[in-house]
Amino acid sequence: MNKTLFAGLLITAFMIAAALFAGSIAPHDLTEQVKIEYIPGKDGSKGTVLAPPVAPGAHYPFGTDKHGYDLMAKLIDGAKYTIFLSIGVAFARVLVGGSLGVLLGYFGKRSSRRFLSSSVWNVMNGIPIFLISWLLLVGISINSELSPLSLSLLMGVVLTAVGIPSVASAVKEKTRVLRERPFVLAAYSLGANDWRILRSHLFPHLKESLLILIVQEVVLVLTLFGQLAIFNLFVGGTTMYMDPPEYHSRTNEWAGLIGQARGFLYVNRWILFIPLAAYVLLIMGFHLLSSGLEKLFHRRYAKFSQL
Amino acid sequence: MPKVAKAAMAVPFALFFVFSVALLPNLLRIEENDSFIRLNWSESLRGLSDYFRGFATGETFRFLSGRTELSFWDQIGGYFQVSLFYVAAGALIGMTIGLLAGIYFSLTRSEWLKRFVELTGAVPDFVSVLLLQFLIVFIASQTGIVVFQVASVSTDDPAIVLPLVSAVLIPANYMIRNVALQMKLALTENYIGFAKARGLSKTYIVFFHALPNVLPFIKADLHKLLGILMGNIFVVEYLYNLHGITMLIFTDAFAYEGYQYALVVNGLIALLVLYAIAYGLLRAYVWGWEKVFAR
Repeated sequence: MNKTLFAGLLITAFMIAAALFAGSIAPHDLTEQVKIEYIPGKDGSKGTVLAPPVAPGAHYPFGTDKHGYDLMAKLIDGAKYTIFLSIGVAFARVLVGGSLGVLLGYFGKRSSRRFLSSSVWNVMNGIPIFLISWLLLVGISINSELSPLSLSLLMGVVLTAVGIPSVASAVKEKTRVLRERPFVLAAYSLGANDWRILRSHLFPHLKESLLILIVQEVVLVLTLFGQLAIFNLFVGGTTMYMDPPEYHSRTNEWAGLIGQARGFLYVNRWILFIPLAAYVLLIMGFHLLSSGLEKLFHRRYAKFSQL
Repeated sequence: MPKVAKAAMAVPFALFFVFSVALLPNLLRIEENDSFIRLNWSESLRGLSDYFRGFATGETFRFLSGRTELSFWDQIGGYFQVSLFYVAAGALIGMTIGLLAGIYFSLTRSEWLKRFVELTGAVPDFVSVLLLQFLIVFIASQTGIVVFQVASVSTDDPAIVLPLVSAVLIPANYMIRNVALQMKLALTENYIGFAKARGLSKTYIVFFHALPNVLPFIKADLHKLLGILMGNIFVVEYLYNLHGITMLIFTDAFAYEGYQYALVVNGLIALLVLYAIAYGLLRAYVWGWEKVFAR
């Protein structure tokens, strides 16, 4: 049994289900706020004072943030942004970048005499993708008048655009290798046209790797969400307060919850730790999914070590 | 075209890229009470022309930090040193660990170790930094002993160990997986079986038959490793509050008078210089490995 794949499926399915349905069964909702209250003890014993932030316990399984809002409700609310936007961006990247890569790989010239040598593209590595995304979004995303949904979509478009080149070049290389295989030549000599070769000879060989690519891109997109959030750019927009400078996520998106709680490293650590744990678990889920799929597809082709 | 000329071609394109990327925050901006994005061409082009006009007056190489005006040339040295230290350390130590552990991983049968490395490879860099800080705080709260500094409080007393560990960890992890993968592929080749049949020892085959055929792949992959290193340095400097180039860009990009185009351009160029230096270091290092294990 492919345990990796199973674990990955289990985690991601659980997370998606939580994003969709947990809102109705969660113990608290987003509007509920803990005020300072005194709970008298039973039989005249000493009571306790409940004040936000409440640590994780029986009433609040994940605790509350410093304003007294339930963290579990926030996580459930933000989950749909985190999960569905990352999947959507990954899908769009592979759809656009993949088609581009297949076309470039199939119709592209074989000679390496290009105007822009590869060293030009290599130097671009020196400027990380998240910095480019940060520069693109920083003027728009902080204290914006746009709605959280349109800001999320905008971010989705930006993150799709910055990810397309790497997907396209990966798929291009794969297609180029496939194009040289004998069955393509056979199909060609039987009179198949380009479209037919692409559709019924190349695509079936690519579809497994495209599927894996989508899942891997989800992990990359989630990583980008997190990196941007560390630099105070949250999915769905950032609300910035001056004096003292504080950043708040407008959507409760998970990376945003991590980013805005970065100050809680020393006290009330659960405010940082619980969103972080959820986020890491999600990434692990998708990672296990991708390596499980890899295992599934590559088991039959594997060569063995001669040593 | 000779190789050098090809490499030199990269310089104007990289500069063009830097100049245009740095325009973005000015170009894409939403004004107050505005519900759509306008492309702010006039202001961004003014920033660009100011940059070149500022060469004569020296304005290009002055920037505001908060409300204090500083000279870029006076400041950049210290910032550059910090970044260079962590990038170079991450590159060289990470490469060494990656090569040695990667070879070990391609031979060992302990599955859980491989799985652990593979799983931690998926953890984003900032998460591993936060978890390391968490660990230190946790140990301190349990035992009262602060093992390492969690972050730099001041420039006189910087945190060193933890940033160094974080700067090495991620490139090392990447290299381990990469080397192990290439090594495994090399070991399936027929010449390995032939060498084994000749009665050569296992260590000799690994280091003198397989490794020389793995190193070209490592060399071809250096740019990707550097890409990871450069992304990593941003997170490391920011989360540990180190005064490096990336920190300079992030903290002072928006000063009292708004977006500082010249500073961002200069910072990004400094970053590319850093990239070139690190690339040269790594190439020299791999070249050394090739010389040692040549047959």
